[in-house]
Amino acid sequence: MNLRKISLIILLLVGLWNISGTSMAQELYWGGFVEGLWGAGIDDNNPTGRDYPVAETRLQLRLESFGDNAEVFGRIDFVQDGFDSSNYDVDLREAYIKFSVNSVNMDFKVGRQILTWGTGDLIFINDVFAKDYQSFLIGRQDQYLKAPQTAVRVEWYTGLGSFTVVGIPDFEPNITPTGDRLSFFHPNKGKIVGAADYMAPVEPDNKFENSEVAFNYSRMVKGFTLAGYAYRGFYKSPVGFDPVGYRVFYPRLNVFGASLRGQVYGGILWLEGGYFDSREDRDGNNYFIENSSMKGLVGFERQVATDLTANLQFSYEQMVDYDQYETSHTQASDFAISMGMPAPVKAEETRTLVTSRWTKMLNSQTITISLFGFYSPSEEDAYVRFSAEYKYSDELSLMAGGNIFDGKDPYTQWGQFTLNDNLYLKINYGF
Amino acid sequence: MKKFSISLMIVAIVAMFAQGVWAGDAEDLMKKSHMAYYYAGDDGLSKVTMKIINKKGKERIREFTMLRLDITEGGEQKYYTYFKKPSDVSRLTFMVWKNPDANDDRWLYVPAVDLIKRLSADDKNSSFVGSDFSYEDVSGRHWTEDTHTIVSENETVNDRAAFLISSKPKQEKDSFSEKKTWIDKETFLPLKEEYYNDKGKLFRIFTADKIEEIDGIITITQRTMENVKKKQRTTIIFDSIEYNVGMKENIFTERYLKNPPRKYIK
Repeated sequence: MNLRKISLIILLLVGLWNISGTSMAQELYWGGFVEGLWGAGIDDNNPTGRDYPVAETRLQLRLESFGDNAEVFGRIDFVQDGFDSSNYDVDLREAYIKFSVNSVNMDFKVGRQILTWGTGDLIFINDVFAKDYQSFLIGRQDQYLKAPQTAVRVEWYTGLGSFTVVGIPDFEPNITPTGDRLSFFHPNKGKIVGAADYMAPVEPDNKFENSEVAFNYSRMVKGFTLAGYAYRGFYKSPVGFDPVGYRVFYPRLNVFGASLRGQVYGGILWLEGGYFDSREDRDGNNYFIENSSMKGLVGFERQVATDLTANLQFSYEQMVDYDQYETSHTQASDFAISMGMPAPVKAEETRTLVTSRWTKMLNSQTITISLFGFYSPSEEDAYVRFSAEYKYSDELSLMAGGNIFDGKDPYTQWGQFTLNDNLYLKINYGF
Repeated sequence: MKKFSISLMIVAIVAMFAQGVWAGDAEDLMKKSHMAYYYAGDDGLSKVTMKIINKKGKERIREFTMLRLDITEGGEQKYYTYFKKPSDVSRLTFMVWKNPDANDDRWLYVPAVDLIKRLSADDKNSSFVGSDFSYEDVSGRHWTEDTHTIVSENETVNDRAAFLISSKPKQEKDSFSEKKTWIDKETFLPLKEEYYNDKGKLFRIFTADKIEEIDGIITITQRTMENVKKKQRTTIIFDSIEYNVGMKENIFTERYLKNPPRKYIK
């Protein structure tokens, strides 16, 4: 983002603040943090060619002002990338105005914002909002897994439940490894590659008909939250390839799903399912575009001892039209071999994933030890993230952690990251 | 001298009368105490500063606004907490639907990721935001969970006349094996509590440090829980309290968890 854009946004925020001044408290609240993060890769021969996936200093500023029915909020990150010494980055995480129209029980949130819904713990089915997997895998704070989007969110509360509509005019993709900080599997090369082999995906044109729309309905029934979801937009990861134009892109997608969450046996149980309708490959006969699929997950979390919480999750994914996929795979293989390229990977019809999170707090909750493991029995790959955080004071905290990947094959979700094992250190001062 | 004996007689008569009326039933006293402490008014809006002071004297501070609504007197309640400080929990909201007959329902909203999380509430003895107060201390341990006996009717705590009650959990494995409570004869508020473990050792001490009248309701505006073993203590200071503000039940829903009710939370 350039300086002109930033000053424009700041001007806009100040303007909004003034306009809404009549209903706003004249007080401006602010806060933020300064953070240093250093991560070291511990594998040899990582095609990224860099020993430090992350070395950065970050300043986050939060600004907030509100009245009885309206609120203006901004959160902006200034990042100095220590790896590339000339690289300074500004990341506008949030900048929105929020207001309520109480006569009709509606809440509006307009602007750059983080959007989340669904029940899974780090497994997303109906949460189709943008994610930053790169940040997630190199040790940045958990909050950076969610990438901001510019959107309008309207919530309507009725006796029958609450209805939410989110409109996202400008497509915002997931941030996935590009070979610079983290290496990844390149299907056309048939191996794990670095930045030199990265192909930047082509984003959908910025026009009205490409706007994303997400819908949510939710209500409480006997202590359980029941929810329904619908989405019309695009896959957020580039799961489409055009062999003719030789480009990677984000195919069109619809998602329909439901979830349930509530208290059972002194713990929390959640269930979620969704149907992914791959609109550009509805018959499943194009190998280069992800097939439609059904996804489901179930999880349970409870406190197993004082200040020790554990959970367990199972997820299951099934490709629709697998026969068509197999046929198209054979054709694609023949084509690839004739072009002198490696035979493309053949995906399994089903994919299973087990995850577990353990969180232990010690010393009056000033020490937090956390472990999160993913293991896929079907793909035989795994990813473990762990960290220990010590809050020296209300302001100052230290954290050490790591991300470890393993897999039988280089082309699976976690298997492709096996050369990216990393350990990191983080120091944070909040104000 | 004569005047003095008359007033002494009056005091004695009042005392006897008071005893006759109030001293009968330990459980009744605990119930009254619970009601005075946890169910004052129909709702309550308070601004709170919490100081956690460790054995080296180092302070950690939490600031939050707390909303409480009684659904049934002595029964269900709903709580809403909005955190202001420290910085890493700023703008976080937390909601509890307290149900004395079942596990509480708890929700947490993390604004930085727009995430509503349901929390398991099995363990009521875990610490509330790292303080020496447990979740149970904050929202109240129901008097029917223990059997109570009056130990003494002539106690004094900070110049206030008090009953001393001993409470023992009905359940075999609990967070304490005996609790001594000094209940103010006038207001029924707990003036002091001592918690003993199964070896009979004192491990926690609660004290009401400051008592004030607010909106006609006698209120403990400063309280401390001391963890004897850790040599650590937490003081909760109510910077302001309002009762009967007319809170609606719909405040205690996911809508307001995500969109704090600014009418109450400044």
